[in-house]
Amino acid sequence: MTESAPSPEVWVAPTWEQVVRDHSARVYRLAYRLSGNPQDAEDLTQETFVRVFRSLADFSPGTFEGWLHRITTNLFLDMVRRRQRIRFDALPEDTERLPGRAPSPEQVYADTHLDPQIQAALDALSPEFRVAVVLCDIEGLTYEEIAATLGIKLGTVRSRIHRGRVQLRQALAHLAPGRVPASEDDAVALPGRGEG
Amino acid sequence: MSIAESHLAQEAIAALVDGELAAGPAARAARHLAGCPQCRMAVQAQREAKEALHGSQQVAVPGDLVSRLCAIPFTADVPGSGGGLGSLSAGPRGLTVQDGGGSWEVDLGPQDPPQRPDHARWLRRGFVGALAGLGAGVAALALTLPGSPGTGGSGTTAGAEVRQHTEVVPPVVRTVTVGAPTTTTAFTGPGGTP
Repeated sequence: MTESAPSPEVWVAPTWEQVVRDHSARVYRLAYRLSGNPQDAEDLTQETFVRVFRSLADFSPGTFEGWLHRITTNLFLDMVRRRQRIRFDALPEDTERLPGRAPSPEQVYADTHLDPQIQAALDALSPEFRVAVVLCDIEGLTYEEIAATLGIKLGTVRSRIHRGRVQLRQALAHLAPGRVPASEDDAVALPGRGEG
Repeated sequence: MSIAESHLAQEAIAALVDGELAAGPAARAARHLAGCPQCRMAVQAQREAKEALHGSQQVAVPGDLVSRLCAIPFTADVPGSGGGLGSLSAGPRGLTVQDGGGSWEVDLGPQDPPQRPDHARWLRRGFVGALAGLGAGVAALALTLPGSPGTGGSGTTAGAEVRQHTEVVPPVVRTVTVGAPTTTTAFTGPGGTP
């Protein structure tokens, strides 16, 4: 792309702006599907690109998307674990800010064009299952790619995807009775079932 | 001859739906499914969940996020933490970072063909140069400080509406992405402007 580097030692990166333009939508989408809200999605995307920028020199061409998936999902899992730890440590009330950031269903749809009920069902999955299901069904990765992304075994990928989908379907049945057949029980407990 | 002595394993059901079963096991699974409504339902359930997620794929990235991402070369710490920053030099079209490991380069020029008049391009170059200078100045500042982030007191100037990205972006530079660069150059001092 540029021919400004005379030394063969130097790997010439695409322009940073180009990297951002080519990959920000993918990273943001993944971050949004995983975190379920725009604020966290933005933070995760920003942090992902900061890491990319920092290790740009080590990047070997051909693995860029896998690299991005790996960074984004790891950052997401870190974030979740950090928050769980904070919750268990029972800090005073200012931790209340963390869960209070969920956007309205209308906002979710406007942002993502993903049915808010589906996003809510996704949010209800445990993070490990959610990551596997999102990488498979939204990002379209193969099991092998998912295993490499998450650093887990193929068998673990399979069972997480299976169990994640089972839970997802149950959550959808609760959120929207009638949408999915074969579930009788009617959960009332879940908030935000889109009366808008 | 018995058709199916056991039901499909759960992992096999997911793999079947995703086309991840090898030919042999897939054929065996198909034979089993033909005679087993229970497993057929399980497969169907997996399909439904998969299709529910398959909906639409487009997510609009907030515009200000994109510009913040584009500004990362100026706002993030650069590699080479061992021996400090190495050297960081900014040309009109890009940024070159050199440290012990070698040098690398980020071209910051706009990708699209320049459609705007000349003075706008010069303005942009000046802006890029100012930003790069700022970034270097802030980084140098951070290195000389005795390891207490936020002592610069710059958080107060960052403005109330600026979002919290403190882990990632030095607060001084954060203002650059939001407000006019001229207001921030005042207190970064040594960064200098080109």
